[in-house]
Order: sequence, then structure tokens, then C-alpha cells
Amino acid sequence: MRLLLRVLAPLLALLLAVVGLGIVVETVTLWVAPGSSPLVVPWPSWQAAVEGLTWQSGSVRAVAVIVGVGGLFVLLTGLVARRHDVYLADPVPEVTVTTSPRSLARAVGHEVRSHDDVISASVVASAKKITVKAATLDPAEDVRASLRERVDQTLLRLPLAQRPRVAVSVTTTKGVK
Amino acid sequence: MSRRSRRAVARSAGRDRVLTTLLGLVLVAASVLALLVSYGVFGTFRAQRPIIDPLLVTWIGTHVAATRWIAIGIGVVLFFVGIAWVVRSLRPEPRPDVSLSELPGERLVVEHAAVADAVRQDAETIEGVSRARVRLVGTSLKPALRIALTLVEGTDVRDVWADLDGRVLARAREAFAVSALPTAVRLELDATSAPTPARVE
Repeated sequence: MRLLLRVLAPLLALLLAVVGLGIVVETVTLWVAPGSSPLVVPWPSWQAAVEGLTWQSGSVRAVAVIVGVGGLFVLLTGLVARRHDVYLADPVPEVTVTTSPRSLARAVGHEVRSHDDVISASVVASAKKITVKAATLDPAEDVRASLRERVDQTLLRLPLAQRPRVAVSVTTTKGVK
Repeated sequence: MSRRSRRAVARSAGRDRVLTTLLGLVLVAASVLALLVSYGVFGTFRAQRPIIDPLLVTWIGTHVAATRWIAIGIGVVLFFVGIAWVVRSLRPEPRPDVSLSELPGERLVVEHAAVADAVRQDAETIEGVSRARVRLVGTSLKPALRIALTLVEGTDVRDVWADLDGRVLARAREAFAVSALPTAVRLELDATSAPTPARVE
């Protein structure tokens, strides 16, 4: 989402500048040399197209809906594009330590997969929550308890600023051990 | 938590986000307003009026000069906001040189590359760090360090911190003759299972 904002923001900015320039150019042209108006933007034909439309016209409503959907997309892009850094406790003042959610998930994932009874696992992590899903051939409940302990151990070694909630779910799959 | 070190974590996208959000709000508001008018919320009679309202047309006819200036004003504002936004948004994040002394006759500036290279080479000697990337952010009078460390699997983060603060950053602070150097450290945990072999220079 950050990437989308990085791309979208300059484009929107450019659009604003172009619209502003167009308004100035056409207004000044109409004022100074009405004979050569319209200079670049064919606004008289737009005016002719809009002439006769009322607020109730279907095309007006359609345009309003399109603008609204576009606006909502732009709005959400702006709101959603925040950083998802996971903060670690500051070792000393003046130093801030962060890591990425992916990196945290990888660290927990290594620990979970190194458990002998786990045959596959997936980990999703954020600063607030870590979700572990693992599959095993043994009774799920035993493995779950020991996995949970492992994850807690990993988190203890990692001085996170805010301790995330941990959700571990284990399923038993069929197979030969 | 220091504000300056926190700000050094990443380039701020605040301006982009605020302006994008505002623009989105304006578009949504315009659309909603048009639809409300269209569906007769402000009176069925208003919904039947033409888009190019005769009242507006007569006002423009009697106030030609004012309309011109209003249009030019709006255009100029949009243009300058847009240009300023484009420039700010596309400009690369500055890599400041560090100014150690501004006294006339003994001005002393350390180049960005020199600082970054020195700290990087120091950081890569830390046990458990397989790769380090270092750059300075901020201004030349108030620089901050941004360090990205890739850690080998199983490295204890606290050991890395101790080494980083006690040796690498201590040396950098000493070199700059400052008591505190705002630093943002980004850790890539467990990226590789073994340290990368020492580089051949």
C-alpha cells in the first residue's frame, strides 16, 4: 500500500497542477484574446454537452458515482498506507530499534518448524498478534502446548516493545510417522 | 523514546498521505453532494434545475471581472500546490554531510559516504551480523543514523545491541564529538542460516 501511495501521490499532484494551469491559461486567453479561445482545453464543447442537463439526468448521476468511487479509492489509499513496523524496546535513549512483521514471522517460524512433531507450519505476525498454524501427526493438544511454550520462549529472547498476543492452532493430519 | 531517532526509522510519507486523503475527501464530498441534489434531498424543484444554473450564469454576466480573478486565483493555487507536492514527493531523501565545525576558517564537513562506510564496516564486524546498510538522514547540523542489520539465525538481539551501542555507535559519537547520536536500527531476523563469507576486497 505504501508503494501505491508512492506512485499515486505524484500523479495526483501532477493532475492538480495541470488542472490549475489549464484554468489559468483558458481564463487569461478568454480575457486577453477572446478570438483565440479556447487555446488548449476544448471547454466550449464541454459546455455545450452539459447544457440542458439537469441534476436529475442519468449521466450526471453516473459521473457523480464514478467520481465518488474514485474519491473513495484515493481516500482509502491515503488512510491505509501506514507503516507496519514492529518496535523493539529501546536499548538506550536516542536509539530506536524496529523489525518487519515478515522478519518476526520468520523468526517464530524457524522456531516452530524446528519442533520434531511439526510437519508444516505457517506464521503470520504483526506488532499486536502472532498467529501460528501447524500440522502434526500426533495428538494436536500436546503439540499445541509445547509449540506455545516455544513461541513464548522466542518472544522472551526478543525484547519487543509490546508483547503480541499469540494464537497457536494445531491440526492433526493423517499419515505415517 | 527519542523523537529524532524515531523519525529516522523511515522516510515520512505524512505529506503524501495527508494530501491524498484530503483530495479523496473532497472528491467523495462532491459526489455525495451531487447525488443528494440529484435525488431531491434539497427539494424536488432544485433537482430539476439545470447543471449550468441560470442564476449562476447571470451572476457571472454581471461580475465578469470578479469571476476572472476568482478563476485565476483558483487556478494559481491548484498549480502551486500541485507543483510543490510533486517536487516534495519525487525528491530523493537527502543524504546529509555532517558538519563538525561551522567556525570561519576552520569549517569541517565530513562527507556522507565516509561516515556511512565507516559505520557500516564497523557494524559488519559485530558477531551475528551478516550484512549492514548504513545511511544518514536529517540535516547536516542534526544528522541521524539509519542502520539496517541482517542477523544470522539464532543470534541474540541483546548481544547485538550491546555491541552496537558499546562499540559502533560509541565510536561514531566520539568521532562527531556528540554525546548522543539519534539512531534508528532496523533488524532483519533470521535472514540466513549462516554468516556470509567475508568479502574479498
